[in-house]
Amino acid sequence: MDWTSILHFFRGPFFTFSLLFFAAGMTYRLIRVLLLGWSRDKVPSRGSKAVGVAKSYLKGVIILPFIPWVKRTFRGNAMTYIGGGLFHLALLAVVVFSTPHMMVWKSLLGFGWPTLPFPVTDWLAAVGIVALVILLINRMTHPVLKLITKAPIWINWVIVFLPFVTGYAMTHHLGLRYESLYSLHMMAVDVLLIWIPLGRISHFLFYFFSRTIHGAQAGKRAVNP
Amino acid sequence: MNKQSAMNAYIKEIGGWVAGQLEACTRCGLCASACHFYQVTDDPEYAPVWKVSLLGQAYQQRFTFLGRLRQALGLGRPITDEALEKWSKLVFEGCTVCNKCAMVCPMGIQLGPLIHDVRAGLTAAGLVPADLHAATVKQDAIGSPLGVTDDAWQERIDWIAEEWEVDIPKDKKGVDTLVVFSSIEIMKFPENLVAVAKIMAKASESWTVSSKGREVVNFAFFEGDRELTKKFLNRVFGAARELGVKRIMISECGHAYDAFRWTAGNIMEVPKGIEVTHVVRVVYDFWKAGRIRLKKGAYDDGTITFHDSCKIQRRGGHIKEPRELLAWLAPRAFKEMSPAREQSLCCGGGGGVISIKEADALRLAVFGMKVEQMNKIGAQAVCMVCSNCRLQFTEGVAHYKSGIQVRGLTDMVFKAME
Amino acid sequence: MSEKTVYESLRESGLSRRDFMKFCGLLSGWMGLEFLPGVKALAATPEQVAEALMAKPRVPLIWLELQDCAGCTEAISRSQSPSLVNLVLNSISVDYQETLMAAAGFQAEASMRATMEKFKGRYVLVVEGSLSTAADGVYCAIAGRSGPDILREAAASAAAVIATGNCAAFGGLPKAAPNPTGALGVGDFIKDKPIVNIPGCPAIPEVTTGTIAHFLVMGTLPKTDRLKRPLTFYGHTIHDHCLRRPFYDAGKFAESFGGHGAREGECLYKLGCKGPTTYNACSSLKWEKGLSFPVQSGHPCLGCSEPNFWDGGGFYQAQSAPIDRPTAAAFGLAAGVGAALGAAMAGANGLAKRKAGKTEPAEPKKAAE
Repeated sequence: MDWTSILHFFRGPFFTFSLLFFAAGMTYRLIRVLLLGWSRDKVPSRGSKAVGVAKSYLKGVIILPFIPWVKRTFRGNAMTYIGGGLFHLALLAVVVFSTPHMMVWKSLLGFGWPTLPFPVTDWLAAVGIVALVILLINRMTHPVLKLITKAPIWINWVIVFLPFVTGYAMTHHLGLRYESLYSLHMMAVDVLLIWIPLGRISHFLFYFFSRTIHGAQAGKRAVNP
Repeated sequence: MNKQSAMNAYIKEIGGWVAGQLEACTRCGLCASACHFYQVTDDPEYAPVWKVSLLGQAYQQRFTFLGRLRQALGLGRPITDEALEKWSKLVFEGCTVCNKCAMVCPMGIQLGPLIHDVRAGLTAAGLVPADLHAATVKQDAIGSPLGVTDDAWQERIDWIAEEWEVDIPKDKKGVDTLVVFSSIEIMKFPENLVAVAKIMAKASESWTVSSKGREVVNFAFFEGDRELTKKFLNRVFGAARELGVKRIMISECGHAYDAFRWTAGNIMEVPKGIEVTHVVRVVYDFWKAGRIRLKKGAYDDGTITFHDSCKIQRRGGHIKEPRELLAWLAPRAFKEMSPAREQSLCCGGGGGVISIKEADALRLAVFGMKVEQMNKIGAQAVCMVCSNCRLQFTEGVAHYKSGIQVRGLTDMVFKAME
Repeated sequence: MSEKTVYESLRESGLSRRDFMKFCGLLSGWMGLEFLPGVKALAATPEQVAEALMAKPRVPLIWLELQDCAGCTEAISRSQSPSLVNLVLNSISVDYQETLMAAAGFQAEASMRATMEKFKGRYVLVVEGSLSTAADGVYCAIAGRSGPDILREAAASAAAVIATGNCAAFGGLPKAAPNPTGALGVGDFIKDKPIVNIPGCPAIPEVTTGTIAHFLVMGTLPKTDRLKRPLTFYGHTIHDHCLRRPFYDAGKFAESFGGHGAREGECLYKLGCKGPTTYNACSSLKWEKGLSFPVQSGHPCLGCSEPNFWDGGGFYQAQSAPIDRPTAAAFGLAAGVGAALGAAMAGANGLAKRKAGKTEPAEPKKAAE
């Protein structure tokens, strides 16, 4: 087995398999929850649910630490806020707006978009790695996180961390040869794709459930979000 | 047996609404620092996510493929009786179901209602704290969790009417509004009844109280016992139907407002065409419509603040009404606490916690944060629209030997009427 | 008649001694002798090369063409110093080369047979083109014999095998999916001989010649990597020595062929360059007397010195893009399977919910849902 063949496998058939597994797994989770039964809300609303939902999403995207009333929670969880915020920013920049990844999307979707300059995505990737390390340390030291973190959550961390480091090492030719790092990167990405439907990284999908519910609840009760 | 009943209750509770939110949790732990019980004790077990984990475990084991597989292979971690007992203490004594955690959750998960579901399972397993359950039993048998019998109620109403020289119509048919009070108000804050009676008279609103639906409080709702909740709700709805009123006005009581206004319609048949509203809204509407006139600046000395209750403000949305009233009554003296409005800090006595003796130390410890909050803005008085909060405030202020005056907003409005 | 040495053969074909020494210098360069520490220890300078060529008997070459396009031969005949290469290949050694030899038919076959017998165990077998194994090799037969037959016989008494071009080395274009002829690289078929691969499409002629010369001079094949490619030429990627590399590092990518960026020397990554994973000497040795190479002239590297490069993703698709992607139908199928499983699970959960609603005799008041 040479690296070129390994790379071919993880860029080719196994990647295809991972994508399909991802698609099937996520559909499974989605359908299972959707078909679990939703009772209709028969209570007359005081406010507009739609407005509540819209506000809920706006609030969800605004960076919470800058809003005074959450400062109490921000102060006690600076690492979670900063690490989590920076990680998601880095994730967006790297996975969507870096040139090599945009080319992946382009090959899958058939269209591309302008990308960020390399130094920007490169630094953000480094920021993402640092953020993940911060989050790990936080998870290992914060009493609440120690209590609620079970094996799958630790696995999540490893599985998200690996594509980041292998990708970073690859663009900077650190350590191993390019095709070796590329193979490892693709391996990590494939594993990530397979793991997402099995773990809590799927929160990007269920985020829309909980935020919509939150907004509908607030809207119905005429609570200003 | 306990385990089975609890599990059955969870299986019944879990639908898409619950599952969608359980799935969204990323285990970030932010909810912990929103919880006043965690903030005071620093005990990670008070983290809302941990309180909900019992429901999460039931979901994982019974509703997911891997969970069922593990269960079938005998690898699942079973829910033990010890765990249930522990969680009973956590969610009944260490949670007021105030839903503040949902405000900081990055995913917006409604942790309060989910913890309410956790309570429902524990209730099915018969693991409700004795004091709380005793009150429920009392409400079931006597009609009031404080044990106010029908005769005692009649006497008390008559006494209040006589003492304060107000007219309190009893069981009067064909009126517009049925007012339902809580036993706390009747026994401990009679001025609330007086205030309502005076305001109603001033606004020329036709109203009544009902001897059949005399208790607004619903202890079964604290427990999460759905059938009993319905039974208690039905006493009032039945009375309203019988009296032919147009609306039911909930007095200064938080969880009752939640139960009548937001929950009843989804768990039972409610009489059509009868509106459920809260006293703060009614008073506000009277004032806005000019049916009552209030003296501007009636309370304008010192510093007065407003405490937002979880069920009336955070989960009821009556946020602007009390503020507009206070801006009129105390334009200079009124000062907001921080955080306030839907982000406010819970009093620590809601969700039935105040009725559990074992929780007293924790409950009063939690109130320390509220005292701190009030002291920060130099408040000399605090008002609110929930008698449960008010009871907690009254006890808490005495416990901390703070001179802060605790008032009900309706009472203040009545005293400022011209 | 005693066998002539290489030097004698060269002198006979009219080469002066001065030219011979220049030739030796060039050869030692191609062979990379200066750069290989192991060989340097042998002190193989151009003088040593000359000495070796003067003393050693000539080693004949049999150059087999199987499923090929003669592109590698073409490249050699037009290489940097065609006279010298031809000297090596024609005058010195090559006893059988279908494209270049004057002989034809039975004559040619006889010549090969004669060489194989006379130089048994001493000649070098150069293979160009892939071996067709499907249907007993009927897709490529020469003089009535199938490819595997010819190769097996020719390799059996060879001292070493040199597979030139990607086809011979790894199967190349004929092996591209769906590989109808059952094409194989030589190394996949001949397991018991020392083999060196000179992949490329075509192989760089200097690399082929240099490797042959290495065997002539040193009597051994050069040191190779895991894919049996001479490290001297395949030790670095195109990307490592690419003149567009600074633009890659700065994240400046040409957007179109011949466009402003491409002319300014920007990196061709987005246009599909496979340079980062392609090991070859193009960016250092270059082509046409060092004039240029594909990436320099504005065309992305196709990765032609790597196994299965033909199936390694679109030539003009960035390297980060996956090699294959599921079709919309496959996605639909996967989602359908997921949905079906989800619905099945939801059904099971619904049953469990109904059952939980019924089996609670202890508390009948909770039975209704």
